[in-house]
Amino acid sequence: MTKQRQVDQHIGELLSGLLDGELTQQQRQMVKLHCEGCAECSENLESLRVLRKRIGDAALSEVGEDKWREHMNDKRVETPRSIGWILFIGGLLVVAGIAVSAFLFSDEIHIGMKFLIIAIYGGLATLLYSVLRQRLIERKTDKYKDVEI
Amino acid sequence: MKKNDMKQQLLQLGNGAHALATQILGNTDDAADAVHDAFARVLSKPDAYDARTGGLKPWFLRVVRNGCIDQIRRRRPADNAVDELQDQAPGPDVVVEVAQRDRALQNALAKLSAGQREIIVLRDYMDLSYAEIADVQEIAQGTVMSRLHRARMALKEELTRHD
Repeated sequence: MTKQRQVDQHIGELLSGLLDGELTQQQRQMVKLHCEGCAECSENLESLRVLRKRIGDAALSEVGEDKWREHMNDKRVETPRSIGWILFIGGLLVVAGIAVSAFLFSDEIHIGMKFLIIAIYGGLATLLYSVLRQRLIERKTDKYKDVEI
Repeated sequence: MKKNDMKQQLLQLGNGAHALATQILGNTDDAADAVHDAFARVLSKPDAYDARTGGLKPWFLRVVRNGCIDQIRRRRPADNAVDELQDQAPGPDVVVEVAQRDRALQNALAKLSAGQREIIVLRDYMDLSYAEIADVQEIAQGTVMSRLHRARMALKEELTRHD
């Protein structure tokens, strides 16, 4: 393949690059210079320009903004997740409430043991809360969190 | 980004995303479902979008594209979805739906491979930069120009044949 032929092939895709404003200054000058002396490339550039405009003006989708707004506000989008969380947390709270009241009002467990168990679980809950809080603060304020090592 | 701001921006992207999904799935109804699912996915986790990593437009279009590929995988799990993309083309129903003046263009687009249709829609219809196209299609930025040019030349040839 001659050097000239290679240049011609390369110019082909650069025509698209020129049209899209994606070339460097040097490439732009080279393509423009080439087009001045090459009727075929000049014609190609013009036809690509027309083609691009035709696609840009085409109605490839005619759904319309209102329809998309309906899609976006569709309750199917948000409701299932909310219902899921409400059911899960509600159920959990009821079960936990029953268990705690059964534990607190049970006559079979000694009062000292009750205090001990409350202390253990209360301590665990406090620790969990403090760790979660710290993590949350770090997540919001750590400016290096996205740095990959 | 706040959810309401995101909603406003996504509204502007609906048609472009639908056009892209139609070119991938070959069916306007499936494409609308894909866009709907993408809206649901994105709006349920608006924090997943990080503005520092790029624009909302390419990010959302990547979500739509991945959703389309998943949809194709679900249809025929035994096949490689990406390979199947090459065979999908908008059916006659799509062609009927578009305005008369765009019918020839839609017919010509249907003759191209899915990758070619996609890249043309992303650049010439959605006006994405080469960097954004590379991001959406998950390809090297350096290959965008040549792929796009080949796609445009193929489309031009098809249009010439039809006209």
